[in-house]
Parts: sequence; C-alpha cells; structure tokens
Amino acid sequence: MVPLENFLALSGILFAIGVYGVLARRSAVLVLMGIELMLNAVALNFVAFAAYLDPGQFAGVVIAVFIITVAAAEVGLALAIIIRYFRMQATSNVDEAAALKW
Amino acid sequence: MGAEQAWLLAAIPGGMFFVIAMIGRWLPRQADWLGILTIATTFALFFVVLVDFLGTGDGLGPITNSMSWTEIGGFQLDMGIFVDPITIVMLGVITAVALMVNIFSVGYMKGEPRYFWYFALLQGFAASMILLVMADNLLLVYVAWELVGVCSFLLIGFYWERRSAIEAAKKAFITTRVGDVGLLIGIILLWREAGTFNISEIIAFAQDGGYGSTYLFVASFAVFLGAIGKSAQVPFHVWLPDAMEGPTPVSALIHAATMVVAGVYLVARLLPVFEIPEGMMLIITIVGLVTALMTGVIAIAQTDIKKVLAYSTVGQLGFMFIALGAGYPDVAMLHLMTHAFFKALLFLGSGSVILATHHNQEMDKLGGMWRKMPITGTTFLIGSLALAGLPPLAGFWSKDEIWVVTEGAWGAWATILFGVAAVLTAFYTTRLFIRTFMGNPQDEHVYEHTHETGPVMWAPLVFLGVLAVVSGFVIFNEVGTALGFPGGFTEFIFLDEPHVYSIHWDFAAASLAAAVIGIFVGAWMYWGGRLDRATAFANWQPGLFDVARNKFYWDDLYQAGVDRGLLGFSYVVSWFDRYAVNDTGVDGSAQTTGYAGFILKHIQTGKVPNYAMGIAIGVIVLTIAGMAARG
Amino acid sequence: MAVEVLWWLFAFLIVGTAIGVVTARTVIHSALFLLASLGGVAAMYVLLLVEFLALVQILIYGGAVAVLVLLALMLTRQAAGGEPVSLNGPQAPFAALAGIALAAVLVGAVVASSWPAAAADGPVDVPFEQISEALFEDFGATFILVSILLLVAAVGAIILARQEDAD
Repeated sequence: MVPLENFLALSGILFAIGVYGVLARRSAVLVLMGIELMLNAVALNFVAFAAYLDPGQFAGVVIAVFIITVAAAEVGLALAIIIRYFRMQATSNVDEAAALKW
Repeated sequence: MGAEQAWLLAAIPGGMFFVIAMIGRWLPRQADWLGILTIATTFALFFVVLVDFLGTGDGLGPITNSMSWTEIGGFQLDMGIFVDPITIVMLGVITAVALMVNIFSVGYMKGEPRYFWYFALLQGFAASMILLVMADNLLLVYVAWELVGVCSFLLIGFYWERRSAIEAAKKAFITTRVGDVGLLIGIILLWREAGTFNISEIIAFAQDGGYGSTYLFVASFAVFLGAIGKSAQVPFHVWLPDAMEGPTPVSALIHAATMVVAGVYLVARLLPVFEIPEGMMLIITIVGLVTALMTGVIAIAQTDIKKVLAYSTVGQLGFMFIALGAGYPDVAMLHLMTHAFFKALLFLGSGSVILATHHNQEMDKLGGMWRKMPITGTTFLIGSLALAGLPPLAGFWSKDEIWVVTEGAWGAWATILFGVAAVLTAFYTTRLFIRTFMGNPQDEHVYEHTHETGPVMWAPLVFLGVLAVVSGFVIFNEVGTALGFPGGFTEFIFLDEPHVYSIHWDFAAASLAAAVIGIFVGAWMYWGGRLDRATAFANWQPGLFDVARNKFYWDDLYQAGVDRGLLGFSYVVSWFDRYAVNDTGVDGSAQTTGYAGFILKHIQTGKVPNYAMGIAIGVIVLTIAGMAARG
Repeated sequence: MAVEVLWWLFAFLIVGTAIGVVTARTVIHSALFLLASLGGVAAMYVLLLVEFLALVQILIYGGAVAVLVLLALMLTRQAAGGEPVSLNGPQAPFAALAGIALAAVLVGAVVASSWPAAAADGPVDVPFEQISEALFEDFGATFILVSILLLVAAVGAIILARQEDAD
C-alpha cells in the first residue's frame, strides 16, 4: 500500500513548485497558475489526511470541496482584475504594477 | 434674628451684587438707591447682631453657626460664621464706612459710565469683606480673601479706558497674589498638622504644642506674607499708592478703611498662633516699624494728595502691625477702627476736592480751598488732626496706646523709632492740609471754578468727622460700659487676659509733643503756601529728597527684578522651548522619522513578487524555527 | 502493487507537469501543463478512493478554470510584439532557491514526523452518500456561505471586467 507520507511529500513538492511559480513569473496569469498549484497541493493534503486518518468524518473532503469552490471564485475575480488592469495599463506583468509605491 | 444669623450681613449685599449687576442698568437712577438701601439694611442688621451679641452675657464668648460643607473620606469640612468681639468691631467699621461711601458715591460718580456696575461692585465688596471677617475657618477666609482681592482689582481698574488704571489693577492683583501664595501655603501647613481649617481649633491645637517650633514658624510666616501683601506692608506696599487710580470713594472704602486692614484682622485673629514661635512677633514689629518710617518719609515728597494719603495709610497699617507685634490685638483693632473713620474721612474729603476742582489732585495746583469749601475743609482738618494724633481726636488715643504697648514689649529702640514715625505722620499731614486748603491758590483758573460740593457728599464727611472725633473715647472704661460694652474697648477684645486701660501721662505727653512738633515744623515750612524752605531743604539734601521722591526706589527695584530676573529667566525658558523643545524635540523627532522613512522607503519596491518573496522566506524561516523548537 | 505503480506514475506526472507550468517558455504551454497537472491530482483523488472529488476536480478545474485561464491569456496578450522574451521576473533565481528550500522543509517535516499506524494502511473508501450528508448537513451553513461567496465573486467579476462606457 502507498503510505500517507507519500501523498504528503507529493503535496509539499507541488506546493513548493507553486510557490516558485508565484515568485518567479512576471505575468499575472502565470502567477495565478502558481496559486492554483498551491491550492491543489493543499486540497490534496487535506484529502489524504481525511482518507487515511479520519475515515467516516469527511471534514477533509468537505474542505477540499470548499477549496475548489473558493479557488474557482478566486480565479474568476483575479482574472477579471487582470483583464481590467490590462485594459488600463496595457500590461499584465506584476512587476510593472508598482503604482502603490511611494 | 440673633447673632447666629449674622451670615445675612454677607448674604444680602452678595445677592444684591448679582441683582444690580444684571438688571441695575435698566432700573431708575441705575440702582444707586438700591445699593444704599442694601448697605443701610446691612448697617442696621449690624446693630441687631451687636445688641444680641452683647446680650448673651456669657463672658462674650464667640457665637458660632456652621454647617457641613463637604465630606471627603474621613475629612469633614465645615463652613460657618464666627462672631466674636474682633468680628463685631470689623463689622461695625465695614458697614458704617461702606454706607458713607455709598452715599458719597452718588455725588462723586454722578454721570460716570458703568454707574450701576460701580454700585454692584461696592455691594460685592461689602459682601466679601463681611464674609472674610465672619468666616470661622481658614479656607473660607481664603475664599473671601480672594473675593475682596478681585473686587479691589475690578474697582482699581474701573476706569479701564485709562492705561494707568489697568496697570495699577494688575500691579495690585499680582503683588497681593505673591503674598496670597504664602497665605495659601500657610493655611495648608496649618491644616496638615491640625487636620482642621477651623480657626479656633487650630489655635487650640497650636497652644497645646501640636506644631513643631520650626514648623509653626514657617507656617505662621507664610500666613504673615499673605497678611502683609493684603495690608501693603514693606516689601509688598508698592501696589497701594498705585491703587489710587480707582475712584476716590473706592480708595476710601477699600484701600483705606476695610480691605487693606484684612491683613491686620487676620494676624489679630491668629495672634495666639503667632505668639508661639520665637521671633515671629519681632518680625511683625520690625515690618510695621520699617513700613511706618519709610512711608512717612515717602509721603513727605509726594505732591498727589491721594498718594500722600495712600502712603499715610500704609504707615498707619504699619502702626497696627506694631501693636500686633507687641501682642495687643485690642490696641490694633482700636487703631484699625479710628483709622478707618478718619482715613475714610480724609479720602472722601480729597474726593470732594478732586470733584470740585474737576479732577485735579496735584497739590501744586491747589491751595486756599478752605475758603471755597468750608465744610470739606473743616472736616478734612479734623481728619488731619486725628491722623496727626492731636488730642482729644480719635487718632491720639489709639496711637498713644500703641506707643505704650510697644515700649512695654520691646523697650527703648522701638519706642524711639515709633516716635520718629509719629512725628513724620504729623509733619506730612500738616503739609498736605496747608498746601491744599490754606495759603494762596496756586492755580487761579482751578480756584475760580471750585465750589462746595452738595449735601450728598458733605453729609458723609460730617458723619465721619464726628466719628473721627469721638471714636477714640471708647478706650475709656466708663465710655465702654456706658455704651453697653463690658469695660472699655481694650477689655472688650482680649486674648487671654483683658488689658485694662489706664492713661500713661508720660506717653500722652510724648505723643502730644510728637504731634505738635510735626505740626509745628510742617506749619513753619509750608505756612501760607510758601515753598522756599522746603525747596531749600531739598537742595540742602538732594540725595535724601530724591530717595523720598522716588519712594526708596522700591518700584525701580521691582521693575529691575522683573526686567532682569523674570524676563531673563523667561528668555532662558523661551530659548529652551524654541531650540531644545521645539527644534530638537519636536522638529528633530519629526525630521529623524522623516529621514528614516526616506532611507527605508527604498526597501519598498512596490512590486508584488518581492513582497511574495518576503512571505515565502518568512514561512520557511518560521517552519524551520518551529521544527527546531520542537526538536 | 498496481496501485503503487500507478501512484508513482501519477506522482511523476504531477510534479513534471507542475514544473512545466512554472518553467514553460510560452503562456499557452503553461496553461496546458497546468491542465495536465490538475488532471494528475484528480487521478490522485481516485487513488485515495474519493471519486467524487476527482469528478469535481476535472469538471471545475479541467473545464471551467482552464477555459477561464485560456480566455484571460487571449485577452491579455501583448500587442504586436508577441510574447515577452522572458516570462520570468528578475528574482527567479531567488525564487528557485526559496522553492527548493520550502520543498526540503516540507518533505523533511513529513519524513521527520512520526505517524500513527493507520497512516501505513492505505486509504479508506469514502461512499458518495456520506460525503453528501456531511456536505449538506454537518457543513450546511458553511456550504451556504460559500455559495454566497461564489455568487458575489461572479457578480464582482462581471462588474470588474465590464467595459465601462462612462469610464
């Protein structure tokens, strides 16, 4: 059988890759993709815990459902913001969006 | 109504102050009649209190009536009245002089602006002063003390269109304020050990040895500072001559007869406390002597008749302090009473002259007024002779008695100095009268337009003139008994043992001699309006004359003190505030913050990835730290 | 054995495509890699015996989200200049370090921790009905809140992205 640690390690690695994507990418859409990876890693983590250590309670599964829902909402909003921003500034590069600086 | 309801004497004029101040403007004659009615009622009530007090017959112990004012923790503060012989004398003086001054003011203040406000303030002053002499505890005394001070301030500055009046009012208030701080400290010190503000209890506490010797000396000296501030003794005397900027009837009431004797009253009231610490009575005596001598010299060189009278008042208050310093409050109160009558008379007489000559109060432009103003001149002569101390006028008896007790208490040196002061008094009084009322007019224009003032003004003069003649006789046991007092005046007021009056023929002779010498020298020097002998004297001793004319340089000394000391200190404080507090402390911290912000803002890129990197690093570090902490 | 083989297969698929997402030279490639990676996570859900989640994952991510992302990519495409030379920002090397460090920390934490015996047994089967019971009964209120959130987000997204005439 596959032990729980495997899922947790996979989730950690996926999360780290997502973090790298968020930190390294310039395009806001690509940053958003990194965030999606991180969210998936977290959801996977929850589900793994629920399936192994918490049978019959489903809290982890339910939270994963909510994460997916919130992620969908977040993607919708974030993309709307990005499009709006692109319309105003003709760019979607996060490192060019520094208007709040002193 | 009995003496227990004596608080009405303060409450009635106090209430009328508000009535006249608020609606007096619209009443007929701007409510001057209301003021006279108020004071007349108070004067009548005084006799009710007097009769009731004399009728109690239980050894003339004080009558008290107090109520609980507030209670803080275990400390109860009572407020009440305290009627004893000293209070009775003060009440009589205050109400009698206040009534005369109110009547006189109707003539003197006729047509002045803020007429109703003037009468309102007179009522306010009367209420405060009556409260002051009836208060049974020091806190109430202090309240009333400041109330009379503020009334004095307002009345000195009554003609606030004049800059000199404003300056004089401020000077009076600030100078007395310096003493008042001492008074407050003294009251607090007395309370701290005794745990009560009640005067009788404090005296009893002090006599039981409740205070340490040095402690009591400091406390009583602080109270004494307040007393000499209010009573204008050296070195706080500078405000009283300037206070002559106020209307002349006010000078008569407040700055001659009543308020300035508050210090004398306070010391007399607390004299059992002052007697305990060693050296305190000597200080009181010396202050009184120095004041009497110095103001006697200064008064000689003044040409403003009100200023002469002001310095004379300061000197006479000095006499009262000498009597207190000798340990005889009865003698001080006697002189307080006689002085109140004849000095109020002199001030009102000078007011009559000033009004008749269209506000001329310089001796250099007066002279020969007696012919034009017979009533004023005659009453003024009576007042002058009483002040000079010529028997059988009132001033003779009280001054003579002060001299006797001074000799008894301090011996030869104080006796001789007192004699010198008495001669000086007679001399400048003679000079004042001769130069104002006798001789040839110095200014024909002023002289021609002078005429006797109306009855509303000379009637109070006559009344006070009679008192100035007869009020000294109460010192005799027979007179006192006949009037209903048990024994004479000196047996009426006493501390532990009555001081039985008897004529000392040697002192009576010396007193008469002092008065006669002063009068004779004054007459010789100024008779007929001549000034050549005085001028010759001034030229012979120019230094002495300058010192006297410049009032011993007290004002210059204080001005220099203010200029150099106070303003110098203010400059240092201002410099510290500007550079240390403002530029370094306030601006400096702002600049430091601003500069730090200027440096640190470069950390902020405004780019989201950089912030995200910060978060990531934070997460990593915290996770590692957490794991390390768990082992 | 077959489950373990499958697990490793999908694990490599997920990690590989995820790395593809964050390193691809073009945005479109990134999006396609993301789709593959999310599909791999769906397969993992199947291996965890939560088929319901796998379906949700494919429906929402594989369908809606991926389409949204692609749509956004087209809308925000740079003008005539085409793709920017580098999709990575200047701090990419540091980001790599941070990512590796984070992965090391997380994996290290998993390895270093001691797990209960059940952790080695394998996943327990989760029936559909019980999930729905948990979702609509135990977490009913939360579910409603999330629904409202989704609604607000949808409305907000519309308002934000709307072409405003009176701008």
